Order: sequence, then structure tokens, then C-alpha cells
Amino acid sequence: MSWQRVLALMLRIVRQFRRDRRTLALILVVPVLVLSLLGYIYRGSGEPTRLAVVLEGDSPLARQVLALLEENSSLQVIVMEREPALQAVDRREVDGVLVLPALSFQPGTRPEVELILEGSQPSAAGAIAGAVSRALPQAIIQTMSPSGQAIQIEPRFLHGGPQFDQLDYFAPTFIGFFAFFFVFLLTSVSFLRERLQGSIERLIVSPLDRKEIVLGYMLGFTLFATVQSIVMVIFTVAVLRIHYAGELWLVVFLTFLLTVGAVNLGIFLSAFARTELQVVQFIPMVITPQGLLSGIIWPVDSLPRPLQWLAQALPLTWANEALRAVMIRGEGLDALGLHLMVLIGFAAAMAVLAMVTLRREVA
Amino acid sequence: MGATIVADEVSRTFGPVRAIDRLTLEIPPGVIYGLLGPSGSGKTTFLRMVVGALRPTEGRLLVLGRTMPDRAVAGQIGYMPQTAALYPDLTLRENLAFFGRIYGLRGRKLEDRVEQLVHDLGLLGWVDQPLYRFSGGMLQRASLACALLHQPELLVLDEPTVGLDPVLRRSLWAHFRQLAEQGKTLLISTHTMDEADRCDLLGFLRGGRLLASDTPAALRLQTGQADLEDAFLALAGQPGIPVGEP
Repeated sequence: MSWQRVLALMLRIVRQFRRDRRTLALILVVPVLVLSLLGYIYRGSGEPTRLAVVLEGDSPLARQVLALLEENSSLQVIVMEREPALQAVDRREVDGVLVLPALSFQPGTRPEVELILEGSQPSAAGAIAGAVSRALPQAIIQTMSPSGQAIQIEPRFLHGGPQFDQLDYFAPTFIGFFAFFFVFLLTSVSFLRERLQGSIERLIVSPLDRKEIVLGYMLGFTLFATVQSIVMVIFTVAVLRIHYAGELWLVVFLTFLLTVGAVNLGIFLSAFARTELQVVQFIPMVITPQGLLSGIIWPVDSLPRPLQWLAQALPLTWANEALRAVMIRGEGLDALGLHLMVLIGFAAAMAVLAMVTLRREVA
Repeated sequence: MGATIVADEVSRTFGPVRAIDRLTLEIPPGVIYGLLGPSGSGKTTFLRMVVGALRPTEGRLLVLGRTMPDRAVAGQIGYMPQTAALYPDLTLRENLAFFGRIYGLRGRKLEDRVEQLVHDLGLLGWVDQPLYRFSGGMLQRASLACALLHQPELLVLDEPTVGLDPVLRRSLWAHFRQLAEQGKTLLISTHTMDEADRCDLLGFLRGGRLLASDTPAALRLQTGQADLEDAFLALAGQPGIPVGEP
């Protein structure tokens, strides 16, 4: 093993990257753009859900329900007559219509509230149904209690906090996902090119051995993946003001481990591609399942059981769990033993596969 | 010291195709050995076995005393493949530096070798240009420079002068001759007859079989043909060109 040769290979990869401005932009600018976009989607003020309220009789309770709904910032409440309201929901000008009768609890009456939902957009329908079903009992308690006060719920958070939102939840996993995705893609394309332009043969007949080739590639690509993860950590923490509790170097370290596996997976799979298009075809096979199942959007616990088993077999699942544990719950290395073992095991297994692939180069 | 290359009944098959068929030859050090044959005759397959990029299916192939493939002699072999096989996005200097470092050159020595080769091969003004700007002939020379860089004992060149202008071709052959005089061995594949004539020893390859291996003069004498191409055809058993009596 000659470190001079390993460093020569690493230096070459770094130089090729430096020349390739577009790829450099892909790994450094694109993740920042995507994160900014997500930040804007989750934290920018979106269009509120529109709810038409039809008052069919006057009572303190009905007025209290209306007041509570109007206080809700995610709803835009419009008071209308019954017929225009029904036409409006039909034309999708509002997302739902709430018909409030006088609402009294006199013996012999059955208070009934009519709720018509447009229904083609689940999130709007859900928001209205949720808001109405929360507002009703609260209004009842407020009108019945002598002080006019509702029962207060004061949540106490073990992690996160009242300001903790979806973006805080997603951001740690995006750092891992982008690193894995780009490193896998770039390594397999770069290795395929090596094969297409014939330079791999020059390397194979040179004093470089397989270990040195794999190591040189690993160092070159993980260097850029590490720079990428540092940029993403700084951006999410300093600009997006993502909630974080743990030590940020651990985030970079976990990403590094994950990308060592990704480099070797790229070398291994590139042996099964003859063109760059065929490399792109690996994305739906390798990247998409991990994107869906690794807990980025849907927590692994919430998946159907067979999918949970599948998720346990994906390296990104373990990386995501560990990244969340560090950033959201502030856990340290001592709590992540199993995760580290899985990530190191994955990296080692892929390195072996990559070396086996290289052995086949001398056919 | 023994022969640089010893091939003993070496065969190589690709599926049902026999690319090299029981080839036996010996190449002593300090000579230019030319492998002449039409495309598809197995020249490249044999060269790739010599440098260790392909494993012989049968037979024994010794290069610099080691059974190939063997990485132990990799540092003493210089290989120029048929296609440039370099990194088009890097400059010539960066390509040379990369291959130089892999073969253990560094610092001042590496710089000196780069300067000298770039000068010898007429690429002086291009050393800091990326290779994607190079013409075919310039790439050919850049590729040759990468093979010569570490001053190997054995140079294996796969059609090194294709597409080069005659002046440059002549100067390259003068350079090859100089290397042979220094005791280096050169194994060069070609399909042009005038180049074949410049070799010390010549092997005729056709359909994976070595038809003959001797000096150009001896081959002429053996076939009774003044022209090497006719000699080749005669040995290949083409009708109309009889093998003359020696």
C-alpha cells in the first residue's frame, strides 16, 4: 500500500471536480436551493383554507363557535347565506361550508351541525374538519363555565418545542440524503467514464492495486461530500434557523460514514452499466426506495410491518435515525453504537464488493 | 539476463472466439519487436496479456521473468493503449503528473521528465491545455508521453503512430530506436508495412496465430518476396503468391 499513489488518485479526482463547475454547483448549490425552497414552503405564509359559515339561528354557543373559528389563523372564515355558500363550495371558491343552527341543549332537541366539504383536496378537508371538531367542544365549555374560560392544555416538550415544525424534522435527514444521492451518482458516473475512456486499464496495469484505487476514490469523493454536509449544516442552522440540540460535528461524521458506503456502492454498481443513461437508471432502484422508506417524510414506525423490515435493511434509515437523534434530541456517540455499527458495516461490505468488481477488470 | 517476453503456447479465448491461438515467441531485451497483422488478428489481445490487463486462458506468459498477470513488474512496463485512455477534463501536465506519481515519480524528477517529454513530442505549447482541446494526433502523443514517463524496461505500444504526420512519425521512430539502444525492449503493434520494416524482429499475426517471427530480412528471404506485404500474404497462404524456396 503506497499512500503516495492513493493521494495521487485523490488529487486527480479533486482536480477533475474543480474543473467541472456544473457538478460542483450540483453538490453545493442544489441542496441549499432545495432546503431554501422547503423552508419557504413550510414557513412562508401560504394561502389559508377558506370556510363559509352559514348561521341559521342565533345563540351564544353558535356565536362562540364562529368566534373561535375566526381566531384560527389557518382558516379564512366567510359568513354567507346558505344558497350562495353551497354554490361557492360547488365552484371550489371555498373549501367547505359549516351550517350552524341555533345550537341549544333544550330537552327534546337534537343539536345537529351540517358540514359540507369540497373534498378533492385532503389537506384542506382535514384542516376544516379538525378545526370545527376542536372549536365545538371548546365553545361548549366556554359558554357553560361560569368564568367563560376554556380548559387550558399546556404541553411540556421533552424534545423540540412549540416552535418545532416539519422543517426541523426533515432537515437532518436531508443532509444525509443529499450526500448519499450525489456521491453515489457522481462515483458511478466517474467510474463508468474511467471504464469507457479506457483509463481503468491504464490504472489496472499500473502499480496501483485494488485497495489503493478504492481508497483513492473514497478519499476524493468523501472529501466533497464532507464539504457538502458542512455547507448544509451551516445553512440549515445559520440561515434556516433549524432547531438543533446536539453536536454538529457528529452530523458531519455520520454523513462521512454514509458516503463511504455510497462511493463503494457506486463503484460496484457502475460495473453493471454500459452507458451513463444506465447509471441514471439505478436512481429509481437505489435512491427512490431509500427516499421513501428511510423515514425522511414518513416515520419508519408508521409504515406497514413488511416495509419496516425493508427499511431496516437500508443504510439511509440508520443514518436518518442517527442524524435526528443528534440534531433533534441532542444524543451523543454513546447512544448511537448500533447505528454506527450498521453504517460502518455497510461501508465495509460495499468496499469489499467494490474490490471484487475491480478484480474482474483483469478478465 | 533472459528474454524480456517469453510466450509458451499462449491462448486466449473470448467465449467461443479464439483471439490468440497457441502463440509461442521470445523477445530478447534491447530490440524493437513489431507485431504485424490486420485488425482483428489478435494484436491488441496479445499486448493486453503482456501488460497484465488480460489473463491468458492457456499457456504461460513470462514478462521480465514473472508469470503474467503480476503487479510486481507493473512499474517496469509502459503501456500505450490504442485509444488515448486519458482524462480529457485535465490538462496534459495534470495527466502526466497523475501517471507519473502512480509510477512513483515525484518532485523535481517528475517535472524534468514532463518538460523533456513535452519537448520531445512537440507538445510544448499545449502542456497547460485540457485534453479535450487536443486533436487526435496530439492525444496520441500525449498518451505516448504517459507510457514513456517512468522510463520502463518494456514499452508496449498499440499502434502508436496512427494518424501522425510523417515528420513526427520519423522522429518518434528515431526515439524508439534510441530507447532500444539503451537496452529497453519495445513491443509495437502496427498494420503499416513501412513501420514493420523499421523493427528488429517482426511477427506476422493472423486469426490469432503467429504465422512467422523473424527479422524483416529473413522473412523476405524465406518467402522470396521483396515486399513485406507480399511476404505476409504468402505466409498467410493466399492463392497466387507462392512461398518461394529459400
